[in-house]
Amino acid sequence: MSSADTTLKHYFVSHEQQFDAAKLGMWLFLVTEILLFAGMFVAYAVYRSWHPEVFLQASELLDWRLGALNTVVLLASSFTVALSIHFVQKGENDKVVVLLIMTLVCAAIFMVVKYFEYSGKFSHGVFPGAGFEPHGIVDGKDYSKYDIPFAPQFFSIYFVMTGIHGVHVLVGMGLFGWLTTRVARGHFSPQYYTPVELTGLYWHLVDIIWIFLFPLLYLI
Amino acid sequence: MAHGHHIIPLRTLSMVFGALLFLTVVTVITAQIDLGLLNIPLALAIAGSKAILVVFVFMALKYDNRVNLLTVVLGVVFVVVFLVLTLADTEFRGSLGITEPAIIEASPESSDTGSRMP
Amino acid sequence: MSDESHNYLNARKGLWSWLSTTDHKRIGIMYAIACGAFFLLGGILATFVRTELGEPGETILGQDQYNQVFTLHGVVMVFLVIIPAIPGILGNFVLPLQIGAKDVAFPRLNLASWYLFMAGAIMAVCGWLFVGRVDTGWTFYTPYSSGASNAVLWLTSAVFIAGFASIFTGLNFIVTVHKMRAPGMTWNRLPLFTWAIYATGIVQVLATPVIGITMVLLFLEKLLQIGIFDPALGGDPVLFQHFFWFYSHPAVYIMILPAMGIISDLMGTFSRQHVSGYTFIALSSVAIAFLGFLVWGHHMFVAGQSALSSIIFSMLTFLIGIPTGIKVFNWVATMYKGSVWLRTPMIYALMFLFLFTIGGLTGIMVGVLAVDVHLHDTYFVVAHFHYVMMGGALIGLIGGLHYWWPKMTGRMYNETAGVIAAILVFIGFNLTFFTQFFLGTKGMPRRYHDYSEFLEIYPEFAVLNLASTIGSYILGVGLVMILVYALYSLFRGPKATANPWGACTLEWTHTGPVPDEHNFHDTPLVTRGPYDYHLADDVFGKKTES
Repeated sequence: MSSADTTLKHYFVSHEQQFDAAKLGMWLFLVTEILLFAGMFVAYAVYRSWHPEVFLQASELLDWRLGALNTVVLLASSFTVALSIHFVQKGENDKVVVLLIMTLVCAAIFMVVKYFEYSGKFSHGVFPGAGFEPHGIVDGKDYSKYDIPFAPQFFSIYFVMTGIHGVHVLVGMGLFGWLTTRVARGHFSPQYYTPVELTGLYWHLVDIIWIFLFPLLYLI
Repeated sequence: MAHGHHIIPLRTLSMVFGALLFLTVVTVITAQIDLGLLNIPLALAIAGSKAILVVFVFMALKYDNRVNLLTVVLGVVFVVVFLVLTLADTEFRGSLGITEPAIIEASPESSDTGSRMP
Repeated sequence: MSDESHNYLNARKGLWSWLSTTDHKRIGIMYAIACGAFFLLGGILATFVRTELGEPGETILGQDQYNQVFTLHGVVMVFLVIIPAIPGILGNFVLPLQIGAKDVAFPRLNLASWYLFMAGAIMAVCGWLFVGRVDTGWTFYTPYSSGASNAVLWLTSAVFIAGFASIFTGLNFIVTVHKMRAPGMTWNRLPLFTWAIYATGIVQVLATPVIGITMVLLFLEKLLQIGIFDPALGGDPVLFQHFFWFYSHPAVYIMILPAMGIISDLMGTFSRQHVSGYTFIALSSVAIAFLGFLVWGHHMFVAGQSALSSIIFSMLTFLIGIPTGIKVFNWVATMYKGSVWLRTPMIYALMFLFLFTIGGLTGIMVGVLAVDVHLHDTYFVVAHFHYVMMGGALIGLIGGLHYWWPKMTGRMYNETAGVIAAILVFIGFNLTFFTQFFLGTKGMPRRYHDYSEFLEIYPEFAVLNLASTIGSYILGVGLVMILVYALYSLFRGPKATANPWGACTLEWTHTGPVPDEHNFHDTPLVTRGPYDYHLADDVFGKKTES
């Protein structure tokens, strides 16, 4: 108990109360994240319903294989996070460190793939907004044929949604790096592992956002 | 003491991960086939199922306090409200409006013909 | 009260002890100082606006300056005063005390949200001073905003940042109410102010992220021309209005719900009676919070949205009248057969009842489709929302500040001065804004710096505008008077007792004249409701022993 007492804030009565409060706070924060992304999903829905054929055509320029790869990578990272919580609850902290590093690697792979996708688009003039001027031929697709009205809107939405999602991935990577050192220094135990739990919740939400982005942007 | 937290068995976690991968394959395959009107609902249904798996098992909402579930449900409900009421505008623009320009006459018998345009 | 002189104000000393505090009471005071300063700024800008309109023709402001001044007035008053003020000042100070908690659930987050708020506020004001003056109105409608100077980038970033302060405040209060209540403090024993702040928290958490993403998209629209909102690039300006009002209509309830909570507490305390329809008032707060999300389109009846959605939004708008009516009738019923004690806070409560009812009912009027086509963008709308925001939210805040002043500062203010100021505010406010209902129905458009062209048809515009301007000066004098006697009370006012109003809620019955750092010596055990005045022995017997 004595080691756990240092983690109990004076304004809480019990660890149970403190843990539940932190968790409810995190869920509320996740709801704000959902509504933040909701704005972009609404913009997507409106423009897609106005210009369905443009969206179908423009989405051909996104490589679904890279999207699928990133989906699998993020799902795997969610799995490793879920496992790390399983093991931190059992007190097997060495396994937690390995799992968190694996998560970090997955997140890094995701960002690298995203980097190649973005740079491939930029090099052929597919920019968000005013710079939109597609040119060149990739995989037999003539980019200049995609310079049609409202294709810029598709790519604006694509870049804004995946961009803000990417920022969330980067934040997650920072959090996991910080957590890994704390686990390695033995800060957590089955009695107190709130930061691991909360970061895990955040990461699963980032995963869920991508679960929706992938089919909407790459597939349909 | 933070005792009594539900520890999700490794078997459950692995099964859910398998299901998520399987659903990803399904959504990729079905997207290559043109199902007409069903394309979008099917893709969203698969994505929704994946999200539910993640929320209930990975995020452990199934074993958690009811108030956390209520929080998430409220969030999703208001996303739907936002989407539906916005689409109620964007999908029906001009559907009830009078689009032919007409001049409002000052004489009493031709008044109130329903013209809105100047 | 083992040691009367030891309290939260003198527990630690120096400026840094304030800037680094995690004590919810001190953070409340810091919000009070900040919001007070911004209220002064917004008020001075309002005086400029009214002075310009006092006489026909250009008087003190050119047309561009006029647009810039009313824009900053709107932004400051909405985002830096009315939205943060009641949750920030009174929510922070009172809510944990009312539920018997030692602090909010996340004290450091609470301090962080004050800093975020200040960062947003300083960005807004500095952007205006040093970068450029935005003239889009507080609503930032595209294409005004996408075509405006780059200063709009500063202002949208400021709103984005201040929005996160609001989110964290709301989140903190929701968790605090759920998890930090003292033993015996069941949901149906929560004071109605706490209920109202709780409902407000729900709106803050659900609505504010959408203004966040709207501001991000507007920022990118301006920076990269992404073409979502700007019609020149194929975007849809009405979509911007949907995004904006999905937040900003619920934001009206972020402003008014806490004020309604204050009024509920004042009605109970100063009628010395159980608040009539307690459960209904509590749940109507939650109902208003949810219904408030379904009506945003009534700001867009003439903006080109579909007729179908206009009809839906108009009908949903009327629903808001139901929970609001429940509250108003229950407040009136609370006074019935009570022993009404007309002290300054109660005078403001009665003022709220009168002014807010006018504001609410004129809201129903502009919610009627056909009527709105005539009244949209006229002074009728200006008068309506000032009756709600100033006559409702700010009058509620001023009443609440008078009520909790002794607990916050340990001093009493001069009652006579309070009454005189209240009368000045009441007369000034009605003279300013009631005249604007007439101006609006005659068709005087809002946001015009000059109305001399209309005088041929409506010569009464001159006298009505003059009356409105004189009213605003009277209102200003009343408000300055409050500031003066409040400052006087701070230094020279007589010391307050622990429970000068004989109120029934925990912050009065279980703390000293000024609460100490950790609020309560012992965690209170709650055995009764918040307005159980019939249990007088039980309530006030505790006062001497605690």
